[in-house]
Parts: sequence; structure tokens; C-alpha cells
Amino acid sequence: MSLLTINRRQALKVSACGFGHLALSGLLNSKATAAPVNPLSARKPHFQPRAKRVIFLFMQGGVSHVDSFDYKPLLAKKNGETLSFDDARVIANTGKRGSSQKIMKELWKFRQHGQCGRWASDLFPEMAQHVDKMCMLHSMHTEGVAHGPATLFLHTGATNFVRPSMGSWINYGLGSESDDLPGFISICPSPGNGGARNYGTAFLPPVYQGTPIGSAGKPAADTTIRDLVNRRYELSQQREQFELLRSLNAEQLKRNPDDANLESVVSSLELAWRMQNNAPGVLDFSNESAATLKMYGVDEKETNDFGRQCLMARRFCEAGVRYIQVTYGDGSANPAWDQHSNMPKHAMHARRVDKPIAALLTDLQQRGLLEDTIVWWGGEFGRTPYAQNNGTGRDHNPDGFTVWLAGGGVKSGYAYGATDEFGHKAMTNKTHMHDLHATILHLLGINHERLTYRYSGRDFRLTDVHGHVVKDILV
Amino acid sequence: MRRPVSQRNASLCTGREGLFLLSLLMMCCLPLRAADQTDAAGERFFENRIRPVLVQHCYACHSSRAKTLEGELRLDHRNGIRKGGESGPAVVPGDVKKSLLISALRYDGFEMPPKKQLPASVVADFVKWIEMGAPDPRDANAAAVSGIDVEAGRSFWAYRPLVKPVVTPEMAHGAETTIDALVLAQLKKAGLSQGPVAARVVLVRRLYFDLTGLPPTPSQIDEFLEDNSPDAYERLVDRLLSSPRFGERWGRHWLDVVRYAESITLRGFLFPEAWRYRDYVIDAFNADQSFADFIGEQIAGDLLPADSLQERHRNLVATTFLTMGNNNLEDQDKGKLRMDVVDEQLETIGRGFLAQTIGCARCHDHKFDPIPTRDYYALAGILRSTKTLNHENVSKWIELPLPLEPGREAELNKREKEIRTLQAQINKLKGNTKTGKGLPPLPLNEVPGIVVDDEQAELTGSWLRSRSVSSYVGSGYQHDQGADKGAKTATFRPTDALDGEYEVRFAYTSSSNRSPEVPVTVHSATGEKTVTINQTKKPPIDGRFISLGRYQFKPGKPCKVMLSNQGTSAVLIIDAVQFLPVKLADQKPVVKKPAGKKATKPKPDAKELAALEKRLKQLQAQTPPRAKYMTVEEEEEIEDTKIHLRGSVHALGETVPRGFLQVLSNGPTAKISNKESGRRELGAWIAAAENPLTRRVLANRLWHWLFGSGLVRTVDNFGITGEQPSHPELLDYLAVRLLEEDWSVKMVLREIVLSRTYRLSSQPVAESLAVDPENRLLWRMSPRRLEAENLLDTMLMISGQLSLEIGGPMLRKGTANDYSYQHDGERRAVYWPVLRNSLPDIFQVFDFANPSMVTGRRDVSSTSSQGLFMLNNPWVIKQAEQAGIRLLEQTQWDDRQRLQWLIRATLGRPATEKELDLTLTFVESASADEDARRLKWAQVVQALFSSLDFRYNR
Repeated sequence: MSLLTINRRQALKVSACGFGHLALSGLLNSKATAAPVNPLSARKPHFQPRAKRVIFLFMQGGVSHVDSFDYKPLLAKKNGETLSFDDARVIANTGKRGSSQKIMKELWKFRQHGQCGRWASDLFPEMAQHVDKMCMLHSMHTEGVAHGPATLFLHTGATNFVRPSMGSWINYGLGSESDDLPGFISICPSPGNGGARNYGTAFLPPVYQGTPIGSAGKPAADTTIRDLVNRRYELSQQREQFELLRSLNAEQLKRNPDDANLESVVSSLELAWRMQNNAPGVLDFSNESAATLKMYGVDEKETNDFGRQCLMARRFCEAGVRYIQVTYGDGSANPAWDQHSNMPKHAMHARRVDKPIAALLTDLQQRGLLEDTIVWWGGEFGRTPYAQNNGTGRDHNPDGFTVWLAGGGVKSGYAYGATDEFGHKAMTNKTHMHDLHATILHLLGINHERLTYRYSGRDFRLTDVHGHVVKDILV
Repeated sequence: MRRPVSQRNASLCTGREGLFLLSLLMMCCLPLRAADQTDAAGERFFENRIRPVLVQHCYACHSSRAKTLEGELRLDHRNGIRKGGESGPAVVPGDVKKSLLISALRYDGFEMPPKKQLPASVVADFVKWIEMGAPDPRDANAAAVSGIDVEAGRSFWAYRPLVKPVVTPEMAHGAETTIDALVLAQLKKAGLSQGPVAARVVLVRRLYFDLTGLPPTPSQIDEFLEDNSPDAYERLVDRLLSSPRFGERWGRHWLDVVRYAESITLRGFLFPEAWRYRDYVIDAFNADQSFADFIGEQIAGDLLPADSLQERHRNLVATTFLTMGNNNLEDQDKGKLRMDVVDEQLETIGRGFLAQTIGCARCHDHKFDPIPTRDYYALAGILRSTKTLNHENVSKWIELPLPLEPGREAELNKREKEIRTLQAQINKLKGNTKTGKGLPPLPLNEVPGIVVDDEQAELTGSWLRSRSVSSYVGSGYQHDQGADKGAKTATFRPTDALDGEYEVRFAYTSSSNRSPEVPVTVHSATGEKTVTINQTKKPPIDGRFISLGRYQFKPGKPCKVMLSNQGTSAVLIIDAVQFLPVKLADQKPVVKKPAGKKATKPKPDAKELAALEKRLKQLQAQTPPRAKYMTVEEEEEIEDTKIHLRGSVHALGETVPRGFLQVLSNGPTAKISNKESGRRELGAWIAAAENPLTRRVLANRLWHWLFGSGLVRTVDNFGITGEQPSHPELLDYLAVRLLEEDWSVKMVLREIVLSRTYRLSSQPVAESLAVDPENRLLWRMSPRRLEAENLLDTMLMISGQLSLEIGGPMLRKGTANDYSYQHDGERRAVYWPVLRNSLPDIFQVFDFANPSMVTGRRDVSSTSSQGLFMLNNPWVIKQAEQAGIRLLEQTQWDDRQRLQWLIRATLGRPATEKELDLTLTFVESASADEDARRLKWAQVVQALFSSLDFRYNR
């Protein structure tokens, strides 16, 4: 974990710090400047951004799109019929196309909602009330049939190679807007399926790494930033100690004057001290109104954890954190949204996330934050329109699924792209995960082809050599 | 004079708009020179129907004027179109089927031109042309060779032969050592000079940290300061180089390079045997093993001869190097995964030993360095002939038992056999005690042919043992609990090589809750075949087996039976696989009375059973499990690899013989054995005396680890995109010295630390700072931040808790995966488990090397989390408390003396008056109460841990 590097006075001319590459500014001027730069200070994007920050609501595993937002009436008509499909897993394992599969109709009733008349099922009744804020991407497709590869692909744009995570790229590109908080926070990430790699920097400097707080499967109420609080000393005792440390460092600095590196160490201590005294406030809900807490479902059995996570996300958002990931996941290797044999269990997961997500959208809008915040809801992939295992579950489907975006710069009450008549494969206006990455970077004012980092002799990108901005969904 | 067409193209036309003009022009002027090649009709056909199409639709990417030549295919001269590109010949005169150009035009396989398919009439013209024998009046050869010029690449500084620099008397004047002379020569050119040598008190701390990773204790400092003999420093150097702490420090440097880890991020799988490799590396540095041998062992230790069992062990464990990649074992496209693993290994070998970014050439010729795609696949062939993973749904790395002394081996074999026999007897007895339905169990030794029981099968996912249905073979069977479909596999592989035709039979116990459609795949010499069996039905042969058919098996060819619960709908059973020579299978079955009929009669002998079980327990207690190590194996098939077009495993081009990088290979092409993967030859090639790059890279790494910055600062990249050496002669000198000293790391380090350049003070000199702020010219020693391991070890040392125990496994017993691992202990940091999902906090915070990638140079960051860690981390506070208690126990000292000792121990120098004042005031502000004093002392220790002079090696 690494948080802020702070010393605003620190001169980079002594390059022992390793901040050789200053994202946008550094790359645009091929000669690195010797100006004092903090690697995390806010930087100008490539062009006028439509949003300043991202909240990614990660539904770990795959939510069934044909049971939630992608309505396919044909499934009910053909329910139980055996038809031939190109199943992604069968193809990956055997290379064979065409396998017999039994159609399974949607398990939740679809209705039209909002002014836009968007179809949404009863799986997410609360979220369905917000379809007018959402931009549905029905034609998503991605890489990786299994969780490991697909999760890494979602987060890093690569199924296997160790690559920086999306939040790290954004942190590297834009820096942080907050003096007291990291620029990239992952709330309750899952240890499974790539674990730390999903918020890691890989070859980007470690300052851009995501700060994990809490962990999937553990109570969100216990979530905090590591070592933020001193559990041993009273505040007054620690204050005295910090004064001693300050004096010692002043004395030692006097013996080694003009050393920018030493000053940066001093600053890291000063910032830590400031964070310790200020940041816990962000995690403290005591000034939230009862109505707000209730809206998020805090202290209600099913929504307490995810409600707290979403509320935390809003608070981080207000505090200027650039990229916030909120994971609804599982502490084990098995993701939450993964009903291979028991689709009805989707309902339990839905009850836990539905209300908090709806509350987050309402809350962001009320506070005027939705205008420049992108909310991104989605998982690793979708699920098959046909049944698996005794006809009670659905397998992974990377070839077609739905995610939605809301807020900063995307059309609201809008739907883009479509899957085939079964909801199996993306057909119209196909949107690859690389395209989604490119589009989100675009919304933040970043040209995904120009956000590069030179490593191992070549320039790397989040989108590798792929990615097209989905211009159609932009306001 | 005739100029080649392509050159005229270049001068006439640059944009697309010129294409039409160009083709017209060529149509006018080219037929003039065709008569000697082809008959006039064919020629006309080519000029009228073929060439215009090629020019208009193909040349943009496949000619001399292509910005980047795609697929190494040139269509603008006769030999080019016939030789083809990476995928093979584009045109085979007279053979439409073999002409890839046609399938590409038909959008069958390739799709060319990519934007839009050409009309059928055009395709028909091309077919006709090829049937005519593809008359082609153009120049036979290309005007200029495009792509990489390996020969020219050899002139790049990194690939040039090593030259030992000559130190002239003029250079030697005023220089203590050759190293100093070479450094001073360059400083002189810049009009700079070196500052003073560091004070001895600074030097002793520097040397301890650099060579052993630990600071000197106050008494060790005194010992050095009081030693006034002229060779005091030299003797200290020798003492530290021979300390076992040396290997712990320098071994860890190497572990950074080889992305050493004890787990994999996917599912937090643990590598329980990886520690052997860590110990091997530490040993190698302590023993000052020849680095050339060290290289060879890591790449091919399993293939090297050994004089002793100990050496054999070292060689085998060294190969763990190849296996630690953070691979995604779950990737369902196993062909791709296999190449990804190879790629990861090439990246590690390339960057680690050669500082070359070979991986760039996976998809195309290297854009900057003289590494063509061919070279990549020449190397890839070696690693593809090496097996790193056994591929299953979730693929698995390879662990093998370490060989034992022949005597021990025989003894252990005997015991293991005895255990198996006992188990069989017990099972038989137990089986008989059951009044289970159906047939009684069939002991393994009564099954003819070669039998692989479920217990010997390689399993993934969790399987449950059962004996509920008694008609099993051996001691029971296993089932998948009807759950986690797709996540469980079983592979039955005979231990002996089969040769000939066999009937393969699969044993299961039937029941109505079983899966009716179980796919079982037999891998034989002739390929793979999948047979679907219905486990709800009673097995047709003896009520136990079903035949999967007859297959040919050959040594060295695949021989296994695999099944997965993928796609099965109910419980899946695995019991055994029988390989029955066809001769035996054809014999009329002797109707043997079920063994059970007789056996069920005698009463189960409880006493006998108890005795057997007791004996079994005893034997098991006396028979320790075999020690295992992580490694690779030679593939069943040793073969060269095809070029993967644009890196895709699904688009293969021509086969490339296994080999090495051409730019570093002078003389004839390497000869690689057909019987081995070629790793042995690869290791030898990397460490060859004639290969200048390996020693340059190593010499530079040694320099980097001593000075915090290499002579080439991009320590893992000596390519064109890397930096140039600041002191090329010095780098060559050190590389030559490595060879002269028989690749002794210690000898070269010794020479460096004895130089005046290493002993320089780190105090800045204003004029030099202004000219060379980064100290590239080495006018001083650069102050260096302590690394995570230094901090951890030093805090443990000062708290009095540090254990100097060497080596061994460190993962806590019973650890299932690496999630949320609680790190603790008193061992040196190098022994703390490197878990990819749970690094120790202190590693994460203080820029520890990313254990998934080659890291020759760590980052040095200053972050708020470092501050928070020093201020609040419970482990830090614990060490500070322990140190405080230890100090208070020194009743012979007063507080001032305690603080003097503490400051010398933490900062490695006497306290300044101001420091003493500050700290003394602080501890004395406490009341006399013991707890209050302890708290103050803990706080003062912690404050010193956080202070600047503690955090730096000056």
C-alpha cells in the first residue's frame, strides 16, 4: 500500500525517487522538467473532462443480465427447448462450436420503468426506479471465461500478464484532488481472483497503487485505513512524541542540509500525522442524518455492509478521491454473483445491494455530485441464457452482458447496443471491455491512446492496442 | 540503368492517391523486360489482371513501401510472393490449395484485404493465374532487405565484445585502484573531482549494511574504530564477505530479480516448496558459487550431471526459478496459457540475465532492438519443450520428490510398499466386515495389466472418498459430490511407459444418483478420443469396468486418461483405470468366482485388524513424507515451435529451429539436441565466456546494489530504449574481472568496496552538485534509503528479538491459502514468506520488489503510509517497547548512558549534544512510575526509528 507523496517542495532533479515518468505532463514534453512535482498532485487531463471521478460498483462474479436488465421475451417462449449454442467455456476447453443447451427463461418478472420506459426485472426493484439516470450498455463482451482471467481483464485489461489496474492508471494520469487521502481507494476488495493485482500498480510507481480498506467478507463497519489510528498511546502522549520526532529530524536535517530526499521523508511523516488527525472523519458516519443512514440501509441486517460501503464511497467522493471501487464480493475464492446451480440465490445478493445502490444514486444527485462523478455498475461477465447443472443455474457468459453507467457526461435514460434475441452474444454496437475502459478514461478527459508508461522498453496502455471510445453514449 | 520497381515507387508516390497513377505507369513500362521469364500470354495476364490488384490492394502493407511490413510478407517481387511470410508461401505455382494468398482472398483463415473482400471475379483471376504456373515477370529479389538488420545490431554498445580498458600512467596518477582511475578520468573531463573519503564511523555502518543488510552493533563499531592497523578496513571487508549474513543480503537482491514468491495471486495458492529455492540462492551467494554455474543450474539444473547427491539436490531445486511465474492457472484456453507461461519465462530470463526485453518480439520484430520474431520463437521452442504446468481446468505446477541416497531410497520404497500392502489388507478385512450390497472390493494386485487407482490419479478440485458401494477396485473410490461442475478433474497416468496396443478400461461404481453422461478422454499415441459413459448403469465387465476401446501407446507419446466433471449433471465417480494388453483382453475370461464369496465367509477378525492398523500407524510414523521441490520437466515431445502470428496461438506460421538471440551469437547456428529441450544449451550460451552481455548485466547489478544506482541505471534494460552506461570502460572492466575471477561475485564486490570511490563521503560539494546533481560521475557516495528488510532486521536487532537462524520453511503449518496471512516472528526479513496477496505490511509500505515481475531496481518512494506505519503500526510499537525494556534492564547505566547506547545502535554514530538533550528531557518528563517510564522509553525508541538518520545509509 502506498498513499500520498506529499512534499510539494521536493525537487525531482534528484531522481533517486524513481518518479521518472510524470504521466501526462511528462510525456507530452519529452524532456522531463526539473520542476518540483509531487507525483500525486492533481494534473491536467488531455482535454476538458466530463467527469472528475469514478465510483465503480463491482458486482464480483457475473450478474445474470437476462434476469435483470436485458429483457428477452423469446426465452419464455422457448423455455426448456434444447438448442445449439456456441458456449464460451466449451470453445475455450475444446475449441468446439455448437453444443446443446437448454433454454431457461428469466426468473424475475420484467416491467417497464421511468420516463424512458426501460425494461428491468423485479430482481432489483429499487435500482429500477433510477433507470432514467442510467445509461445501459447491453452489448458488452469481454475476455476470460473463468473468474481469474475475467476479473483481471476487467481491472487491468489483461487476462494473465501483470499489468497496472485501471484505478492506478487514472491515479497516474490525473493525480489526487485530496491532500489527506489517497487518489484510489478500493473498499472491501476480494482477496480472490487476482486479489491485490486488481488494485495494484504492476510496473507503475507504487505511489499510484490503490489503497485497500477492509476486505470482502469482513464487516464493513470495521473498515479503516491501515495504521491510521494509534491504539497504544493517548493523543496527548503521541503529540509529545511527535514533537520529539520533529525536533530530532530538524537537528538531523541541519547536519545534512539541502537534501530534497530527506525533506520528502519528513513530509511523509507530517502528512501521516495530518491524516491521522483528519482522515478518520471521512470514515465516521456520526454526522450523517438518520434519514441518510436509513436510505442506505445502514444497520439493517441485509444491507448493513454494502450500505456502509456505498455511503463511504460517497464520503470519499466528497473528499476528492479520484477512483473509488466498491466491491460486493466474497472473502473466499468463489465470487458472490456466481449461481451455477442455484439461480434463485441471485435474489439474496440483490437484496443486499439494491437499496444501497439506489440510495447512492439519490444521494449523489441530491448533493450535485452526480454531475461530475461516473457511477459504473457491473461484473466480470454475464450469464448464459441457457441452464447449467440440472437446469437450476447459469454458467458464465463473456460474450454478451449488460453494465450501466450513470452521471458525469453519459446520456441518461439511454440504452446502447444489444445482444442477440436470446441475450447470448453481443450483436449490435458491440462494446468490448477495452472500449468501456477507453470510454471511462475519455469521460475523465484522458485519451486512452496517450496515457502510456514506458516499461521494459515499450510504452504500455490500459487498453493495449485496442479500445474505441463509445461516442454514442456521451452527452 | 534499371532501377527496381520498389525504389521507383518510393520516389514517385507516397500517398494512396498515387496508386492508380502508379499502376498505370507500371503497366506501361514493365512488360518490356519479361520475355526471358514467361510466355507472353501469362505475362500479359499477370500485368493486366494480377499486378494492378496487388499494387492497389496489397502493397500498402506488403511491399518495400509499407510503413511496417505486415506478417513479414512481401508481394512486390517474385521470390517474396513465393516464399511468403510468417505463415508460409503466399503463392505456390500450380497449386491453388497450397497458396495462402487464395485462402486469404477467400476470407478463409486470413481475411485479406482486411477492409473489404475483393469481388469473386478477381479471386477467380488469381486462381487462374496460379493454375497457369503463376507467371511473374518481376524481379526475383527485393531491392532492399527490410526488417531487422541483426548484423548492424551487433555494433550496439551492449553487444560488442568486452575490452579490458587500458589505464595509462597518466590516469593512474592519483588513483588508488583501477576502478578509481576509470572514474576519475571521466570526472576530470567534466572538470570535477572527488570529495573526501567518509569518516570511519560512517564507513563501518555503510559496509555492514551493504554487505550483510544489518547495522554494526555499538561494540562492532568500537572494534573497528579502535583498530588502527592499516589493513583494518580490508579485514573488515573480508570478515563481512564471509559472514553467513552476506548471503542473506545478496541472495535477497537476486530474489528481486527472479520474482521470488511463495504463492500465486489466483486463489492464493501456496508454493509450499519455494523456500528451498530461497535457501539455494542464499547458499550460492555465501559459497560464492561461480555465477556461470548459478545461471546454468537455474535454467537447466535437472539436466546437469552431479557428483554428489547434495549437488544433485542443489541442481534440482535451482530450477524452481522457472516455475514461480504469477500465472493464471485458470485460463481456459490452455494453448494460450502454455505460451503465456513461456512468455513469462522468456521475460524473466531475458530481463534477469541479459537485460533484454525479448517479450516485445512475441508479436512482431522488436521495434527497437535487433531481436526478430524468429529469435523469440527459437527461444520459445526451448521452453515449449519444457513442461512447467500440468494442464487441467485449474492447471498445476510441478512438485517432485527430492532423490535420496540409493540405500535410503530402497529402504523408503520398501516401507512405502509395505504400507500399501498393509492398507490393502486392512481394506480387505474392512471390506469384508461390511454387508454392503453388490460385489466385494477387488484388490489392486488382482487386476491384470497396468492399473492406476483413483488414489494415484492427479486430481484437481475436492473429491470425496467413499466405500458405500462395495464393488470398487483397490481401497475405495472417489466422487465429486455432484458439485462445482467444471472445477474438478482427474488424470490417470501409468507410472511405466506403455508400448503396444492396450484395451483401456475404466472402473466405477454405479448407482441411480450418478451422471449418465460422463466424458472420458483417452490420450494415446494416435491422438485423443473421448468416450461418454453412463454411470447409472452397472459396469459391463465383471460389474466393475467398462471398456473405453483399444489404443496404441508408445514411449514418449501421450498416455493418460482424463475426465472432468464439466458438463456432467449428477454425481461423478472415479475408481480406477486399467490398461490391459490386448493379448490378455482377448483371452477368454476365466470365470473367476467373485473373490468375495469365499472371503465373506470367515468372520472379520477384529484382533487381526487392530494389529494391522497398529503396525500401519507405526510404519507411517517412521516413514516421513518425501521432501519435494518445485521444478519443470522435459516435455514428452521435444520440438521446434512455429511462429505465432501477432502472438496468437491460433494463427501459426513457419517453424523456427530452437536457438538463441542472433545478435549475441557469432559463428554458426547453435546445435540443440533433439533429445532435450535445449535448456542446457541455453544456460551454457547465456553464461558463455563469449557472451559479453551477461557479464555486463551482472557487473552493473553488483554496482547498482552497492551504490543505489547502476552504471547503466536501467538495470533490466540494456536495449536501445534503456540508458547508456555512464562509465562504459568501468563497466567493461568489471565484466572482464568477473571472468578473470571465474565468475566470483565476492571477488568483484571486494574490489569495488575497497575502491576509494566506494569509500567516498556522501556529503554534497556545492560545485559538483551544481554540475552533476544526480552524481552520475561519482564525485560522492549517494545517500541511500534503507530498504524494508533493513528496517525490519534492524528494529528486531535493537529490540533484542532478532534470530539469526538460517533457512528452512517459514509458512505457518495449516495455512490453506495466502489471504490475510498474519506475518510475525523474529527471523530476518529474507525469510518472511513472500505472499503475493499478503505481503508483510512493512514490505508493502517500503517499496519491496513486486514479486510478480523482474525487479532489478526498487522504487524509492516517500508516502504517507510509510509515515503512518512508523507512527502507529503495532509491530513497530512492540519492537520499540521491547527495546525500551531492554534498556531499562541495564541497571548499571543511567539514562544518559542508555540514550548514548541507543543512539549509537540506531543511528550508528555518537549522539549529538542536541539529540541527547532532547531525548533525555523527553524520558525524564515521565513520573517515576515504572509504566510511565516504560512508555516514554518505548516512545523515544520509536521516535529514533522514525528519524532521518535511521532511515538512511550514508
